[in-house]
Amino acid sequence: MPPPSAGFGAAEIASIYQENNLSIRSGALLMMASAGLMCPFLAAIAMQMRAIEGRHGVLTITQISAGTVSVVAFVFATVAWTAAAFRPERSGDLTQLLNDIGWIYFLMTFTTFVVQDFAVGFAILGDKNEHPVFPRWLGYFNLWVGVTFMPAALLTYFKTGPFAWNGLFVWWIPLVVFFSWYATMFVYIRGNILRQSAASQAT
Amino acid sequence: MSASLKPSSLEEPHLPGETGVWVFILGDMLMFALLFSVFVYYRSEDVPLFSHSQTTLNQTLGAFNTLLMLSSSWFVALAIHSARKNLGNISARFFSLAFLCGLGFVVVKFFEYREKIIAGFTITTNDFYMYYFMLTGIHLVHVVIGMGVLAFLIMTSRNPNLEDSHVNVLESGASFWHMVDILWIVLFALFYLLR
Repeated sequence: MPPPSAGFGAAEIASIYQENNLSIRSGALLMMASAGLMCPFLAAIAMQMRAIEGRHGVLTITQISAGTVSVVAFVFATVAWTAAAFRPERSGDLTQLLNDIGWIYFLMTFTTFVVQDFAVGFAILGDKNEHPVFPRWLGYFNLWVGVTFMPAALLTYFKTGPFAWNGLFVWWIPLVVFFSWYATMFVYIRGNILRQSAASQAT
Repeated sequence: MSASLKPSSLEEPHLPGETGVWVFILGDMLMFALLFSVFVYYRSEDVPLFSHSQTTLNQTLGAFNTLLMLSSSWFVALAIHSARKNLGNISARFFSLAFLCGLGFVVVKFFEYREKIIAGFTITTNDFYMYYFMLTGIHLVHVVIGMGVLAFLIMTSRNPNLEDSHVNVLESGASFWHMVDILWIVLFALFYLLR
């Protein structure tokens, strides 16, 4: 972090993997170990959405399947980086190819995250409960998060500049927005769960 | 919120639409402010290239699209005005006109892109054209989303008995469309006019 420039040549990429070999392998191992932890979070979002939509929740299912694709992409990116670091002595061209595949898996697949955010956003805005599960602004916030991730897919055209995979609109903004999304959703879901369990104990 | 929507209190300061929609609008405008800043920064690095490339843009089509955007915003404002007077059918007609302006914008943009690509200008030509295609493209996505919003507003306003809550929904959508309009005004100035 941040990602090596897409404009680097094969030799430069290969030397990054050679010089930081152990830390790349260990970082990838940590990523792989934590990948599955995204799943309970998806399930927690889905349970809250089910409270909005009821049993026939198309958006709930959309959210969980789009979120699952993100987890798969995360895992595949980790595999590509691990494979690149696994045999650092191999030809630089191959290391560069694996590095490319890893970053494209990691960042271009934000497109499914866009769908996930839209599903959450529309569910919150469509809440017809007397006491809505989430505040309405959180629905608009989710839509906005989805929109800010759209430019990420443009990395396909660029090796340098703000739309390349280490640029402002593909790396830095999504990074900041993703973590603020995660933190905001975490706070509201935790609040809801605590309130729901308190309510179920009271009855 | 709904109390402030009563016609009698319309003279008072009043945030159009629901508060939450402004989270989206201000967030999106922040995003575009960054896009504009990046463009201006890279332009300042190579002013001759940007100025020269600018002369190859089709100002007539750009100005025509500006006219379409401004008209659509005017229609949206008229639609809101009618909706507040509980004239749902007229409101829906104005929203439809705004929708047609949006459609016209997309069609003009299609022919403008086509003209540029046939003439050999693509995102890989130079930095100016890269930003031109990226920023107007991202804006075009907003126009298409906005047309979806307008379609929803047409259906919502076709109600013989518009209540405050309906007007609130209409105002939220209209605020989004006005944002799409104002972003184009800035884009038009940056790409077609800035000397």
